[in-house]
Order: sequence, then structure tokens, then C-alpha cells
Amino acid sequence: MINGIFWTVPIASIIALAFAVLFFKQMMKNSEGTDRMVTIAEHIRKGAMAYLKQQYKVVGIFFLIMTLLFSIMAYGFNLQNPWVPFAFLTGGFFSGLAGFFGMKTATYASARTANAAITSLNGALKIAFRSGAVMGLVVVGLGLLDISIWFIALNYFYPIEIGDGHNLVIITTTMLTFGMGASAQALFARVGGGIFTKAADVGGDLVGKVEAGIPEDDPRNPATIADNVGDNVGDVAGMGADLYESYCGSILATSALGAAAFMGNSDMQLKAVIAPMLIAAVGIILSILGIYLVKTKEGATQKELLESLSRGINISSILVIVFSLGILYLVDIENMMGIWGAIIVGLATGTVIGKATEYYTSATYKPTQKIAKSTEFGAATVIISGLGTGMISTTIPVLAVVMGIILSFLFASGFNFNNMGLGLYGIGIAAVGMLSTLGITLATDAYGPIADNAGGNAEMSGLGEEVRKRTDALDSLGNTTAATGKGFAIGSAALTALALLASYIEELRIGLLRIGETVLEFSNGTNVSIATATLTDFMNFYDVNLMNPKVLVGMLVGSMMSFLFCGLTMNAVGRAASKMVEEVRRQFREIPGILEGESVPDYARCVEISTKGAQREMLLPASLAILVPILVGLIMGVPAVVGLMVGALVSGFVLAVFMANSGGSWDNAKKYIEEGHLGGKGSRAHKAAIIGDTVGDPFKDTSGPSLNILIKLMSMVAIVMSGLTVAFSLL
Amino acid sequence: MEINLYLSIMPEALIASMLSPQEFGSYFAVGTKKRTRGQAMFFKLKRDFKSDYLKIDDIEKRCVPDEDGTPKRSKYISIYRVLEHVPMKSIENLYLVTDDGRVLELKREEYIDNENDALHLYQQLGPVRPLIASSLNPPDFCKILTDTTQPVSVPKLVFVELILNGLANDPENAPLDNIPYQNIDHMRGCLINLKKKPSKPNKTVVRSTQNDILYRTCKNGFFIGDNETMFYYPMPTREKLEGEYYAWWKSALTQGFNY
Repeated sequence: MINGIFWTVPIASIIALAFAVLFFKQMMKNSEGTDRMVTIAEHIRKGAMAYLKQQYKVVGIFFLIMTLLFSIMAYGFNLQNPWVPFAFLTGGFFSGLAGFFGMKTATYASARTANAAITSLNGALKIAFRSGAVMGLVVVGLGLLDISIWFIALNYFYPIEIGDGHNLVIITTTMLTFGMGASAQALFARVGGGIFTKAADVGGDLVGKVEAGIPEDDPRNPATIADNVGDNVGDVAGMGADLYESYCGSILATSALGAAAFMGNSDMQLKAVIAPMLIAAVGIILSILGIYLVKTKEGATQKELLESLSRGINISSILVIVFSLGILYLVDIENMMGIWGAIIVGLATGTVIGKATEYYTSATYKPTQKIAKSTEFGAATVIISGLGTGMISTTIPVLAVVMGIILSFLFASGFNFNNMGLGLYGIGIAAVGMLSTLGITLATDAYGPIADNAGGNAEMSGLGEEVRKRTDALDSLGNTTAATGKGFAIGSAALTALALLASYIEELRIGLLRIGETVLEFSNGTNVSIATATLTDFMNFYDVNLMNPKVLVGMLVGSMMSFLFCGLTMNAVGRAASKMVEEVRRQFREIPGILEGESVPDYARCVEISTKGAQREMLLPASLAILVPILVGLIMGVPAVVGLMVGALVSGFVLAVFMANSGGSWDNAKKYIEEGHLGGKGSRAHKAAIIGDTVGDPFKDTSGPSLNILIKLMSMVAIVMSGLTVAFSLL
Repeated sequence: MEINLYLSIMPEALIASMLSPQEFGSYFAVGTKKRTRGQAMFFKLKRDFKSDYLKIDDIEKRCVPDEDGTPKRSKYISIYRVLEHVPMKSIENLYLVTDDGRVLELKREEYIDNENDALHLYQQLGPVRPLIASSLNPPDFCKILTDTTQPVSVPKLVFVELILNGLANDPENAPLDNIPYQNIDHMRGCLINLKKKPSKPNKTVVRSTQNDILYRTCKNGFFIGDNETMFYYPMPTREKLEGEYYAWWKSALTQGFNY
């Protein structure tokens, strides 16, 4: 029997979606402005939708193939949970849907934000932020809705009151597999979107700014619209799908760990399973409250604008801490204060990572100013100092996650390192705590590209100086929040991946039972029932220790994957950008009157080139992310898969922080010089800074953010394919 | 079709054209095929002057539309020692062209010296292009450089005063901040020398500059003069540039990306 308080979860998800619809409708009531503004917005909307249509075609084929494969495994060979094909599909569908709604809203909001900026900064902030909130609320709303539907449906087929808690393990591990669909969708969205946006940005800049000498966002540049489309497909649809996956992944992995931790105590087991869902539900309501707190006054400074956004997030976070204690009290979960401590640890870890990101990437602080200073000695020193700063910047986030892992483990386990089950549950709860305010934190992320596009629209439409100043202020704020959001996404991915690592063992249990195994037979002759085996039993059985070469090999391959993936995506940007360069050059050459502003460039062609380039280039890295865990499992078995997951997690997490922060600090070092330091615009320092920024573009917007998903997707593939691994591994 | 006469400063040339100043500037910067780009600066001239050196009497015969009726974009009249042979009274407005063909028209105004800066930085634009640090104000600088009785002089001079910010009064300690010039330490040294030796009014910072002018570094405006007369073409204020001439200004700020 499902606990009555559980119904708060679907209700919260519906409330989130209702507010998303409300904010969308409120935004649509505003005017898009002049004919020119409407035309520009239409170009961007059409381009973005054309991209998504093409992307969904490619992803659709991929999903079809994978669903068929899962169906054969499940129904043909009994190697797979029979629900996996459906769970995989719904995960992918809802993840894609979240990205689609977010992007649709963003493309409607940018012109409206620019138009509102004609009269008021606060009005423009409100439209941009609440449109960003549509994305945040759609992600959390659809995420919790999907979780609720599956929980209710699976409870029908596997009643939780029957089977002494075993059914709850089946339910949670089955639900976890929908994360693979979400991860796969997210990877395509992030990698494809990342390649698209940077191909358009770098390609457009290289010819427009460097060769033709025309400024950014100039309507004479044929790649301008593609650049604006890229902001939407990369930073809105891609980020939305990414965090949808993290959000659901953290809740589901924690539920699975909760089911495992309290095996044999079905009452407490159910409470442990629904607790993460309830915390997420409370987070939704408090995020909505926080969204209403974001407002500013006319003529606000940058600091005041940032404060207004921070106010919403901070108040939501504090209230989550307070209300989650109430929820845990109502649920009456074991070690309530310890679990609550883990939630606080999660939120604190997220905040520390966000602040560290801000410190290393904002020009207000020394690290970025030092990179700016290094521009005086040329491009090489800028690259060196940016790489160095990025590497150093990994220290605080890594230590924050280390502290987060230890503290949440200790709090939840009652300061007992041997209480592995509850300790790991605590780590999962910390990830849920960190992501509980995703409704509002994602709003600040999605707000960035909306403000950026509003600035582009104001520029291309020739709106007045005061309007451009307002949109510039909003855009600048968006850059800061985007950098912080990326740090947050990476931190949550690390904790989620760790929870997934532990969940993998639970999937092994189910996989073994499915192929008819009932006991773990150890070399010393002892037997342990699979149904009741602990996590440590599984580790011992599969010999998962650092002296096992299979584990080491897996770790090395996992580490290599992070670098291989980054290399492939960075080269992909280079190739796609070169095609854009050729096209922009062709248009300048063949369409008379572009540079004089007398004829309109062929914007659609540039969007098409970026789209095709992104689709073509994303296939190899995405396929590798899926195939490598399967192959490693089939060849070297469980120990190597665990090693692979660990290797990808530790290298991918650090590499992602490094790349995101290096890219962010190069970008802001350039902006710092453009503000009038070190010679300002046009100086040699500026030229060197531009080179740094161009190198940093794929760092921060393509490869770095995609690593989050790589880590999670490889874990998810390992989880979903665990049946195959235990049945067929060669070594 | 009306024929206009333009005195190009970069490079120094006298050009006849059937294009208006705006059209000519755009054409001059990026051509017709958009395969070139380059900053340009030119004065519009009255056609009422006579010159034995510059053959402009038969300009109607030489500057004719193309066979298909297209206006003649440019007919070079002369490319050598043009500036010195153009009378001051024939010089009209100045046009500043960005390297992607945006044109800003500057009108002549009387120069009023109401500054207290002790030091100045002048970029000579024609006929020679040294960068000079000076303790003289623009009229005095123009006068001394166009005094043909002196061994180092030119008959006529086009120049622009560039920003020095705090260095204008405190070259030893003022921060460099928004000053984008190359070899800045040498420039600071030149300014300190000038301050220490008032008897020497000018000091060459760069013998001949090859780069485009960063329009944003223009302190007050452009000057053209001989030993008798000096014309001053003030730049619009920053507010006006950002408001009324935004497209030109944004393009001007993008200059300098010529790798």
C-alpha cells in the first residue's frame, strides 16, 4: 500500500507544470515589439525548431534501435527487466520534452524581453527570468511526474506489501533504468547542442569579426541567427535535458539505495524510497516561492541584479532545509536527523561549488584578473595561465564533493563507516538535497540565453542605447549565473554518479536472480543468498579491489574515455566551425550588398550547416559512451565495469570542472579587458584574450558540460546492461 | 552624374568619384566583391581650386560612368604629394571609415583650447606617420611642424590627438588602464622625458606607424593645417556615438582584429 504522503509527489509535479503553463501564458501576453524584432525572433524560432526536428529524427532512430535491442534482451533471452524498453522510452521522451518546452519558451521570450527593456529593467528581468523558470519547472515537473507514474504503475504489478520488501527493490531498480533513456537523450542534446552553438559562434566570429570586421550580433553576418539559435539549443535544451537526467537519476538512485539499505524492514524501506521524492516535491513548491521573490528596481547595478537572483535561490534553499526536516519528521524515517544532515550537506556542497566557480571565473576576483594580465605577453601565456587556473580551480569543488561524500555518509550512517547501506543512501540524499531547488536554479541558467538573445535582438533591431544597456546588464548577469549553474550541474553529476555506482550493485542482484542464480558461492566455500547479500558481499564475490587487474584496467579505460570524449567533441567543433567559415565567406562573396546592409543574408543555410554538422559529429562520441561500458562488461565482467565507472567519474568530474572554469575565466578575462583594463578593446592584450576566449568556447560550452552526461550515461548503460554482463562476460 | 573630389589620407591620394561620400567610403573600405577591407579617411574637396600639380581640369573627361551606366566609383588623379597641393580653403568635411565600410561624417568647428593637459600624444596621418609625444597644444604643434623654414617640417599636416588619460599630467605614476598602444613603457619614458626637459617640446615615440587608427583612442578630434590655418574636426561625444552613430561606433570598436 502506497503511503498517503506519497501523493504529495505527483501533486507537486502537477503544480510545477501548472506554474510553468502560467508563466508561459504570462510571458506570451507581452508584445514581441516592432516588425523587425518579430522577424528576428521568428528566424531564431524557426532555426531552433528545425534543429530540434532534425535532432529528434536522429535520436528517434537511435531510440528505436535501442528499444528493439532491449526488447530482444528482455523478452527473447530474459536478460533484462521486461519494463526496461518502456522505461527507456519514457525517460528519453520526457527528457526531450523538457528540453523542447524550455527551448520553445526561450525562443518566444527573447524578443519580448528586449521589448520590455525599452521601458523597464525590472519588466525585462521578470520576463526573462520567469521564462527561464518555465524550463526549471518543466524539468522538475516532468521528472517527478514520470517518477510518480512509474512508481504507481509498478506498484500495481509488484505490490509493495507483498514479497518482504523484495518488490520495492524491483520497483526502484526498474525505475532507475529510465535514467538511461534520459541520459541518452541528454547526451545527444548536450553534445549536439554544444557542437551546434560553438560551430555557429566560432565560425561566425572568425569570418564576421576577424575577417570582415563586422561586430558581434550584426545582422549582416549570416551566422548571427545560427549563433542565437545555438544559445537556445545548447544552453536551454541541452542544459534542461542534462539536469532532468541528474534530477531523476539522483532521486531514483537514492530510492534504490534506500530500498536496499532497509531490506527486511518493509515499513522503513518504503519510507526511505519515498523520502527523496518528497524532498524533491517540497523543493518544487519552495522554488516557485523563490521565483516570485526575484525582482529588481529600475537602474539596478550589476551587484543588485545578482542579489535579486541570489535572494530567490537562497531563500528557497533555506526553506528547503527547514521544510525537509518537517517532511522527514512526518515520514518518521530512521536516523531522521542524520538524513536531514545529509540534505544540508548536499545544499552546502552545491553552494560551495557554485561560489568556487564564481571565484575562479568572475573578473571581480584575482584568478581571472591574472589571466587577463597574462594577455600582455601574448596568446601563448593566456593559454598557459587559463589552463593553469582551470586546473587549480578543481581543488575547491573536488574537496567540497569529498567533504560532501564523507559528511553525508557519516551523518546518514550514524558515524559508522561499516553501515555501508545507510551511508550510501546519505550520499544519494545529499545529491537530492543539492538538486531539490532545481526549479529555481535551472531558471537562473535558462535565463542566461534568453537575456543573451534579447541583447542580440535589440542589437539587430537597432533599439536605442538605453535598451541595449538594459539588455547588456541582463546578459552580463546571465553569464555569471550560467557559470555558477555549470558548476552546480557538475557537482550534482558527481554525487549522482556515485549513487549510481552503488545502485549498480543492486542491479547486479536483480540481474543474477533473473538468470536463475540464488546464491553467491565464495572461494572459501561459504555461500550467501543473493536476495539478502550485502553490498560488501557483492564486492567480495566479484573481487572488486585495487589489486584486481580487471578493476585497474576498467579505471584506466574509464579515465581515457573522458579525454577521448573531450577530444572528439572539441575536434567536432573545429570541423563544424570550418564549414560555417566557408559558408559565411561564400555568402559575403556571392550575395551582393550584404556588408552594406542592402540585402539579407541566407540565415537558414547557416542554421542548416550547423545542424547537419552537429548531428554528424555527435554520433561517434555518443555511440562510444554507450558501447564502451557494454564491451567492457562483456569482455572483462563486473570488476572492470565498476572500475570503468569509477575511472570515468573521477577523471570526468575533475576534467569537467577544469574545462568549464578555464573556458569561463578566458571568456571573462576578455570581457575584463573590454571594460577598459590593460589597454582595452583593440589592444594587443585584447587580441590575445580573444584567442584565449576562442579556445575556451568549446571547453566551457561543448566538451566540459557534456562530460557530466558522459559520466552518468556510462553508469546508466552499465546498470541497464548488468544482466548482459553477469550472463555473458568472457573473463 | 555629379563628380566629387576626395582627398584620401590613408593612403594619400586625390580621387574623383561619382559616388556620394557615404557610398565612396563604403566602397573604398571593402570594394565591390567584399574581398578586401581596410580603414579609410578622406576629406571632401570643393572643386573650385586650380593646381598646376594636380590635373583636375579634364576631370569630366576622365571620370565617366562605366559602359553599363554604372557611376564611376573611383578615378585616381594623383597619389603623390597631394596633400601639400590642395588649398586649405577647398577642404570640406572629413569622413572616417571603419574597415568594414561604415562611414562617419565630421564637420569643421573652431578649436577652443580649454584643457589643462600638460602632455599630448599626436598621431600624424599625412604626409608622414610618426607618433609624437608633445608638450604643445594642437595649434602650436601644427604650427611648428608646418614651419617650412625649419629643417624638419611638412607643408601641410593631418593629425589626430590620442588619449593619454592620467599620463597626460602624471606620466610617472598614472595607470595605463584603457590605453591600447604598443610599446607602452617606451611611450611612458618619452612623456617623462618631455616633462623633465621643457625646452624640447616634441619627442618621437614611433618613427612610422603602420597600423590602423583605433578611433576610440581619439581624444578630441582630427586636425589639418598649414602654417597659416588649422581646421579642427571634433569627434562626437561618447554618448552621441553610442546613441546616434551606434552602427559606426560598434564597427569602430571591432577594429584591430586584423591578424
